[in-house]
Amino acid sequence: MRTSLITCIALLFVLAPDFSFADTKEDRKWRRIAHPIIREYCTECHNAVDKKAGLDLIEFYYVPSVISRGETWRHIVDLVKNNEMPPHGSKPMSQADKDSFIYIINHVLDNALQDPDPGPSMIRRLSHREYSYTIKDLTGVDFNAMSYFPKEGSGGEGFDNQSGVLFTTPLTMERYYMAADSIVRELRNDPERWDDLVSVDYSPGIFRHFANWVTSWFSDDPPRWSKPVRRAEEAILPFATKAFRGFLDGEDRSDLMSFFEKLYFDGLWKEDDGFDDAIATVYKRILVSPIFLYRSEINQPIHKPYKISNVELATRLSYLLWSSMPDDTLFDVAYREDLHNPEVLNREVLRMMRNPKFSRFSQSFATQWLGVEESLNTPKADKELFPEFTDDVRQAMREEVVRYFHHVFSEEKDLLELIDSDYTLLNEDLARHYEVPDVSGDAFRKVNVAGQGRGGVLGMGAVLAATSLPNRTSPVLRGQWVLEQILGTPPPPPPPDVPELSEEGEGGHDELDLRTLLEKHRSSPNCAGCHKKMDPIGFAMENFDAVGKWRNYYRGEATINTSAIMENGQMIDGPLELRQALSEEKELFARNFVRKMLSYALGRGVGFTDSPTVKELTDTLLQNDFDSEEMMLALVNSYPFRYRRSDMTELYIKEYRR
Amino acid sequence: MIKGNQYSRRAMLKGLGASIALPFMHSLAPQSLMANPMTSTGGAPKRFACLFMPNGVHPDKWSPQQLGSDFQLSPILSPLEKVQNKLLILGNLSNKHSFRTVEGHYTKTANFLTSMKVARTVDSNVDAGGVSVDQIMAQHLGKNSVYPSLQYGIDKMRSGVCKSTGITKLYGSTISWETNRQPCSLEIDPRMAFDRMFRNYIPGKKPMPEDPNKQSVLDIVMEDAKRLEKRIGIEDRNKLNEYLSAVRSVEKRLDNQASLEDFEAQITPDMKEELKRMDIRIDEWAEYAEGVDVTEKTRIMLDIMVLAFWSDASRVVTFMMGNSASGRNFAFLEGVNGSHHAISHHKYDPRQMAQYEIINRWHIEQYAYLLEKLDAIKEGDGTVLDNSMILFGSGLRDGMRHSPNDLPIVVAGSAGGRLTQA
Repeated sequence: MRTSLITCIALLFVLAPDFSFADTKEDRKWRRIAHPIIREYCTECHNAVDKKAGLDLIEFYYVPSVISRGETWRHIVDLVKNNEMPPHGSKPMSQADKDSFIYIINHVLDNALQDPDPGPSMIRRLSHREYSYTIKDLTGVDFNAMSYFPKEGSGGEGFDNQSGVLFTTPLTMERYYMAADSIVRELRNDPERWDDLVSVDYSPGIFRHFANWVTSWFSDDPPRWSKPVRRAEEAILPFATKAFRGFLDGEDRSDLMSFFEKLYFDGLWKEDDGFDDAIATVYKRILVSPIFLYRSEINQPIHKPYKISNVELATRLSYLLWSSMPDDTLFDVAYREDLHNPEVLNREVLRMMRNPKFSRFSQSFATQWLGVEESLNTPKADKELFPEFTDDVRQAMREEVVRYFHHVFSEEKDLLELIDSDYTLLNEDLARHYEVPDVSGDAFRKVNVAGQGRGGVLGMGAVLAATSLPNRTSPVLRGQWVLEQILGTPPPPPPPDVPELSEEGEGGHDELDLRTLLEKHRSSPNCAGCHKKMDPIGFAMENFDAVGKWRNYYRGEATINTSAIMENGQMIDGPLELRQALSEEKELFARNFVRKMLSYALGRGVGFTDSPTVKELTDTLLQNDFDSEEMMLALVNSYPFRYRRSDMTELYIKEYRR
Repeated sequence: MIKGNQYSRRAMLKGLGASIALPFMHSLAPQSLMANPMTSTGGAPKRFACLFMPNGVHPDKWSPQQLGSDFQLSPILSPLEKVQNKLLILGNLSNKHSFRTVEGHYTKTANFLTSMKVARTVDSNVDAGGVSVDQIMAQHLGKNSVYPSLQYGIDKMRSGVCKSTGITKLYGSTISWETNRQPCSLEIDPRMAFDRMFRNYIPGKKPMPEDPNKQSVLDIVMEDAKRLEKRIGIEDRNKLNEYLSAVRSVEKRLDNQASLEDFEAQITPDMKEELKRMDIRIDEWAEYAEGVDVTEKTRIMLDIMVLAFWSDASRVVTFMMGNSASGRNFAFLEGVNGSHHAISHHKYDPRQMAQYEIINRWHIEQYAYLLEKLDAIKEGDGTVLDNSMILFGSGLRDGMRHSPNDLPIVVAGSAGGRLTQA
């Protein structure tokens, strides 16, 4: 009876994450002050049915739900302060109501930020990318998990390592098993690598065989003796420690070894390679274990956020910088020193950033941040119109993104160069595509491209192709891309019944007419708000065609007009001036980059309670001339990266039981 | 790799096309299948498949003009001529949770088979509102099958999040939900899809025996999971549940040796011939047409579905003919020049709408291909198609307006006489 009650309570938590166990004083205060005002002024539009701007304001019953949309509520405060809401034509808010409305919102939000909150940190299955790298570092085997496992989506700020979107399905499980099987088989078939991993050996001598034979007369139980087990421990336990990214406890050890014993003594001991085969099967079992496949952190049932353990911090670090498990050195440091000590932590981070494995960070982060992966994998550009957009060129474009990002991040250390510089990294294929002379060979090198329109991510073929339609460029898509990926100010969705990007529907129109068409479009007040932000950016990039080639004319005849007026009134002409204008948006770019990095590092979306951290890291960038190293150090030292909030559900249930 | 081959690709594909157009004609269903005690009615098994088409339809060229069984197929539906008397073309259906939801395509895809409200989220608490109907059917129809259900597609899952609407794009890549919070994985590789079910039954290929230690390995990792559970919080345990149930489902297949043997026994010589042809066809596709010929890839996946139904490897399949808002370039069709999504926002321009119609019809042609194949396989007094229910549809009506009214929905087959074309 009692158990079922507890189950019910547990279920309540599971089924209704918003369910507030105890309606707190603060909850009641919020409702007492805010709800009458909302009902009086806001719910004509922001109700459950109309949901203007996607908001039903009355559904915010509890303080936690207000906090979870904290940024929206801050925005509401601004709108109310500036008399933009309630809008003209509806009942204006009295001064007294305005004051108490703003007071209660700020009160709730400021309280939420008073005590630092590291946010939720969920158990995280390895992403396919992380799986590949971890296997590589653990066993030396190259395993292409990305094409072997079912494809996955992304979450948070757009990355594939976000716990919420990493699912384990029956099909993935099947593939995990097959993968483990083939990885271990590859190891077994490669004596050199196998001996690297398993330096011990054992085979029963003639006396042991004889002894076992004699024993078998008197007992049906399989024989057992200790020597092979002791030897196997030397191969199994270190491997498991690394694979499980943590120290094994007694239960872990006995579990692993008893499996070995079962395999070995039940029959394998009679075979020539039985010792190695038994170890191989134990390895396989380790590679399909949830302790390997999931990164988990111990949940301590205490009310206050607590520091994660040294080994857990080491794991967070290595998956951030290397997309893989810690190396021996990092493990050692985590064991012997205090990784939470900034001196130790910084030393390790700098060491890891100098390791070639750090390029995996650029691989993973840059392509996902810029959103170019999809369009390079499955190019949509029309093959007949753009025969030059070959596999080789696309491959080179991806390399350019990754290598340029890596160069800026670890050599120049000035993140503003991501937006604007006078160089890029090219090989012959790509240089030919860009019509940059004197680059020959497959190797990528830094090339000065001053005056040629390139330099910075906005001049990269990968980005330009990703933001185009199959048969032509799209100024709107390019503008939207810059707002989203570079400045972090995505335009709101278009009003209902207006296509997402109406200009897209004009696929049949010539590029020549586009400008006129868009100008007409902007005369509609519904569209003007966003299009006057997006369109000028796209117009300034019209010198790049749909696969990123430079052009001065449409179809070789009409001159391209790349002049435009930015939303703030600034006149720009062409890609160079656009880049310069964007480099001035230091704060927006810094904040956006920080949000992306933080989301990538924490494996979750960035929420309101992270705003102090976002601010702190943004300031670090602004005060240090966008130094990438300073930013990385600040990130790993930040509160949410080193702390963890307990999942309190269990504790609540215990308290309830009492 | 095949640079400098002297055949033009087109000639090559034409040649391939000719050699592969071998339908599963007049083959007899396996005897054991007819006597299969698992089927509730004692007759042939009932099956369900759903084909999802992205980006809606040309609003004026979809619906037939007449009501009732005596009707003229609309321009888009015209490829269904040969199976017209086995169709139900349903009008005026809509999904009430597709209204007043996040604008755009994604949520109207995720809830296509759940018909529930989709949570607005970029990653935490991904939620399609409920279990999808195919998965509920799998619990009943598929509980004794070797594969309770299959999920196929042809595109990689969409990556990224839509910042303007605040949702993850994975909603646009999945219609099958095992639980409200867990989407099923999509198989998009023909080779892997085929090998998973049939690798060990292809004549002339050496079977790959199951790892004898698999059961004990799975048992022991379940122990790991239980140990891990003790160290983590309740939220994490919920997440880990996915792992537990995934392992259980793999174990179930291992346990059920009898059903595997049944399955093997009912693979007739006819089927074996077909498996052999399919095996070669997939190799040829991978060598010459991968990334090039979408129609052939789609048809291979559809033929694998046919094989799955025919051999009774599975009774429930969903197939995504593209992710929602798919920008596939359909220029390979005569008269089309541009991306699917862009064209679907036609702005009522007649030239755009004409292209939209052609793209819609291409999807229906693939559907017709599947139906005709299923209808060519005799089973009892009817055909496999008669014993199935094959749904085709999109989460939008007119892509131009993202409108969820009067959805384009067709059901073919009669589920063994349970549906009638009145």
